[in-house]
Amino acid sequence: MIVGTRPGARRAHLSSLSTRTHATGAASTALRPVLESPRTPARVLAAFSAGIYLEIRTEIEPRVVAVVHGEAVRLPNAIVLSGALPPAEVGDDAAVGAGSIRLGRAGLSAGRWWNPAPPLGPADPALLALAARATADVLGRAARRPGLDGNGAVAMLADGCASESLVDVVTAAERLVGLGPGLTPSGDDILAGVLVALRHLGTSAGVPRAVRLADWLAAAVTYDARTRTTPISATLLHCAARGEAAPEVTAALRGMAGRHPLEPALQGLLSLGHTSGADLARGLHIGLDAVVARAAGRA
Amino acid sequence: MTPLALSGDLTVITVGADLLGHALDAQAVPQIAVDWRPPLPGTSAALAQVLADPRRAAANEKAVGRLLAARPHLVGVRRARDVLDLPPGTFLHAGPPITWERASGPLRGALIGAMLYEGLAGTPEEAEGALERGSAHLSPCHRHRTVGPMAGVVSGSMWMFEVRDAEHGGTAYCSLNEGLGKVLRYGAYGPEVLDRLRWMGDVLGPVLRDALAANGPVDLRALMAQALQMGDELHNRNRAATSLLVRELAPAIVEAAPERAAEVLRFINGNDHFFLNAGMAACKVSADTARDVPGSTLVVAMARNGTDFGIQVSGLGDRWFIGPAGVPDGLYLGAYGPDDANPDIGDSTITETGGVGGFAMAASPAIVRFVGGEVADAVAATRSMYEITLAEHPAYQIPGLGFRGTPVGIDVTLVARTGLLPVVNTGIAGRIAGTGQVGAGLVSPPASAFTAALTALAEEAVAVRGS
Amino acid sequence: MRSKALPAADLVRVRSGIYHDSVSLMRVSQALTALDGVEVAMVAMATELNLGLARELGFDLPEAEPSDLLVAVRAREPDALRAAEAELERRLAALATLREAGGAAESPPRTTRSAAAAAPSEGGRAAVVLVSVPGENAFPEALDAVEAGLSVMVFSDNVPVEQEVLLKDLAAERDVLVMGPDCGTAAIGGVGLGFANVLRPGGVGVVAASGTGAQHVTSLLDLAGVGVSHVLGVGGRDLSAEVGGRSTLRALRALDDDPATSLIVLISKPPAPKAAARVAEAVRALATPVVTALLGPGGHDLTSAAEAVLAALGRPVPDWPAWEVPQDGVSGDGGVSGDGGGGGGALHGLYAGGTLCAEARIIAAERGTFTDFGDDTYTRGRPHPMIDPALRLEALASVPAGDVALLDVVLGYGSDPDPAASLAPAVAEARARGVAVVVAVVGTESDPQGLTRQARAFAEAGATVFTSHARAVRHAVSLSGSTR
Repeated sequence: MIVGTRPGARRAHLSSLSTRTHATGAASTALRPVLESPRTPARVLAAFSAGIYLEIRTEIEPRVVAVVHGEAVRLPNAIVLSGALPPAEVGDDAAVGAGSIRLGRAGLSAGRWWNPAPPLGPADPALLALAARATADVLGRAARRPGLDGNGAVAMLADGCASESLVDVVTAAERLVGLGPGLTPSGDDILAGVLVALRHLGTSAGVPRAVRLADWLAAAVTYDARTRTTPISATLLHCAARGEAAPEVTAALRGMAGRHPLEPALQGLLSLGHTSGADLARGLHIGLDAVVARAAGRA
Repeated sequence: MTPLALSGDLTVITVGADLLGHALDAQAVPQIAVDWRPPLPGTSAALAQVLADPRRAAANEKAVGRLLAARPHLVGVRRARDVLDLPPGTFLHAGPPITWERASGPLRGALIGAMLYEGLAGTPEEAEGALERGSAHLSPCHRHRTVGPMAGVVSGSMWMFEVRDAEHGGTAYCSLNEGLGKVLRYGAYGPEVLDRLRWMGDVLGPVLRDALAANGPVDLRALMAQALQMGDELHNRNRAATSLLVRELAPAIVEAAPERAAEVLRFINGNDHFFLNAGMAACKVSADTARDVPGSTLVVAMARNGTDFGIQVSGLGDRWFIGPAGVPDGLYLGAYGPDDANPDIGDSTITETGGVGGFAMAASPAIVRFVGGEVADAVAATRSMYEITLAEHPAYQIPGLGFRGTPVGIDVTLVARTGLLPVVNTGIAGRIAGTGQVGAGLVSPPASAFTAALTALAEEAVAVRGS
Repeated sequence: MRSKALPAADLVRVRSGIYHDSVSLMRVSQALTALDGVEVAMVAMATELNLGLARELGFDLPEAEPSDLLVAVRAREPDALRAAEAELERRLAALATLREAGGAAESPPRTTRSAAAAAPSEGGRAAVVLVSVPGENAFPEALDAVEAGLSVMVFSDNVPVEQEVLLKDLAAERDVLVMGPDCGTAAIGGVGLGFANVLRPGGVGVVAASGTGAQHVTSLLDLAGVGVSHVLGVGGRDLSAEVGGRSTLRALRALDDDPATSLIVLISKPPAPKAAARVAEAVRALATPVVTALLGPGGHDLTSAAEAVLAALGRPVPDWPAWEVPQDGVSGDGGVSGDGGGGGGALHGLYAGGTLCAEARIIAAERGTFTDFGDDTYTRGRPHPMIDPALRLEALASVPAGDVALLDVVLGYGSDPDPAASLAPAVAEARARGVAVVVAVVGTESDPQGLTRQARAFAEAGATVFTSHARAVRHAVSLSGSTR
């Protein structure tokens, strides 16, 4: 058999009527609800060389959609394009829904779906304890420091998670949401790390109390995230509350669960952003320690 | 981690239909597209048989491992008849076996010169008559652990570099380089050629012998590695290597022969290619360690006699697989042109066999215009050779490619699959006996030599499996 | 050497303070010699050798040092000489300002072997190889992949079975998976390879010996809201006696190890007895539940296979969407009256997918003629009907009035980017002639062609359109005269 390339077949595939150009990419399944909703207006919140953030005028999450290219961090609310990003400036009108994202003349839709919260599979608590020590070691040696090194709220969050003190956890979370500079403040990144670690590692190790702690923390963090932090960070907190994260975070979780080498995965995570990677790693570590402590307490 | 890599981010290597690659673009999946083309005509079946040979992978690993591990040292300079089986009337020559009848001009000229040099004939006409009558015995250098540039004619009285492999213990030989212009290896046999040979026999050989004995062995692997980083590719450019060798040996030459030192050093310094022959022996001794590994598809010799281009393959013993030697595509000295050129000649392709020469072109910006004028072309030439070689040399490195090892270990199956033929840098000999060098350039080996070897490998693989 | 012509005009210059390497200068010499009217040109450093050559050419030379540049040009008339001199200056100036290009752009790899060497392997990245070269050349590329420790999908067909066995044995040694040969579809972690639909991620892992079979089952699951983790094709021959299920066994174990997979579906024609026993044994050893859907008489059809998966998941079976004329609203199967004029005559199944064609034959139980235009006899030297509709258009045009035409339309990557564009007008034309047309569309809403858009286009052309192929066949049979 010949797999022929009919002349024009590719063009027909990519373009549609008039001047509208159409491109497809790899979309997070977190975007499926907003993409399948009726078309809703949106606007460009931020535009960088690596990505464009769109804010949708909607009440459902994710309210912010990241359009990124392949080299960028693949946020859990991202659609990844293989080609160049469409031109966009802050404040540009856009629309999301009815199967596509409209940005200027570009129409973007899902060429495949990826899962930002893939199941980790079962993990042996004893191995998690080893992973916790290895994580402490790697993070201790890392040149990249978390953005809130030495902050009391972080210590309170860690202690609260470890001792399962709901009051401490919620108090710390309230102090941390939106804390720090930038599009994704350090406090939010740490909380996101804790949320996904508690949920995924708790599930994997069979520690339902860790998952319940994640539920409480998720409720506390998402309750007023909209008003407490940047829109993009609020959406990422909503994603983290559901266990959704960037593949670099997922890879680190897989490493902790013993499914592939931990150190390179942690190094990959640490290299993200200015402090984002280090903050997320700090959060994962707090969550991991909490799961290990609960598993030990149970035994 | 699951070995089947079902988790994690996927990169897809695509080989074949574009359409399937476009689908990956639409999914924003990183892909590496292989620029696949059909193999050399008529080789599909033989390729499948050879690749299916269960011995192949391990055999190639072993053969190329030996080639890479070889540590050639220049240990001596000896008279040919003292170390090689060379009774009077026997002459070694470059390339696969050949008769006087089929010999090209430069080879005939060199044989005439060697007859005169050995005193076996009084005049060129007399020498030619004797050679025509078959009174001389011709034998390929390669059969005698020897390599010779261009005509590669070796007779008993000539002096040879002796190179030993400190790793595996083998030995190889190559004659001393006469310089450029009218020289025996290009088929010239005039009085100045013979006078020079006599001086080399009387003065150069003995002085180098004594100097080397005083100095001790020279580590050619280290020297060649350094020369590559100084802009040599070690086939058509040996300026750095020659300088390094002189630097190493000069004191010993002065000490060994104070009265002759000046003329010896002047001679060596006057010839940027003086190192070539030592480098060839180094490559020969390295390639010979890779011989005779059953099932291996590694090329252990490429050589031309001015008529045929031949290769030998590790898993196929001493058999030669030949095709017609091509005329190099290059640049010509003075008013010479392609019409004056002899087909490709010489054992110097042992350098490419050993992972330098044309394969290391990217290391040698000074000569890149032979390929068409741009450094980029030289880089492309070297890069393309990684496609047909089994390894990257641990010692021979190319600074411009981030100190990547040179491509080494030509695999017959990869040549057949890609249709990429080894890139060979070479000098061009005049067609008429006695002319000498007329130019230098690039030459492509005949694909038929590689397809013939592939066919033989397939027959051998089938025979072994059947038995 | 070239013969000397009668001397016309000589230009001889010796310049000091200029050095160029001999190769550059030889190129200049070549360029000058190539000029009209130039007999010979020599531009070289004034070494003994070069001076000698110039003297042999008959030039009268002044004193020169080896560090000088020698120019010797002979032309047939003064004009040519002046032109040569101008060219010389231009070339020397160019040499003086020559800037070498930097390193060459990385050229694409020529074999899978070198591509594999260039593939990233760190940080959770994995590589898989997709081979679609002609069958006689597939083995070397697939072998490269396995030897490099990479799993490979061999889309190519016509690969000899002994090569398949060899590849699969080596794959077991290297702990990788060989999908194929003749593997039409696969999806690894949501990445579609070959003919592939855009599926939602989920927990169902599929091992399939049939490409279109897997496409149909997974598309139905997608319609029912159930996602897949991976679709691992094994090739149509894997469960034969000769190959013995080598890849099926490995694929089952891989899915069993995969945390994203919570239910495994094995889709195949009934295997050879020995392979069947081995597979049954392997299935028993897995921790993950397995739904085995063996297709064929007395076994499953693809729709019932999808329904069995839903049952195993405790999910309700939806009404598989269908569209009919003249309303273009979606209605359940029961809502399709199916008699839009025409019909009553013989049933003609015009197929692109081999597995679907075979399923149609079984369901229709010989009541009709079924042609697989994807068969080797039709595809030799031309594109597959999933890409090129020409043969089916021709066949549809020759269905007699009063008869029933049944077509499959497979969406997804690799397939015709807009099958309705060519087939729907032909459907309308057939309807106008009084032919009843039934279409089974295999695909998802996320497919590049869009399930609903395609289905509506066919419905508007007058066809009755089903997403369940089995129902499409039953409907077509009911329309044909053979049921009367």
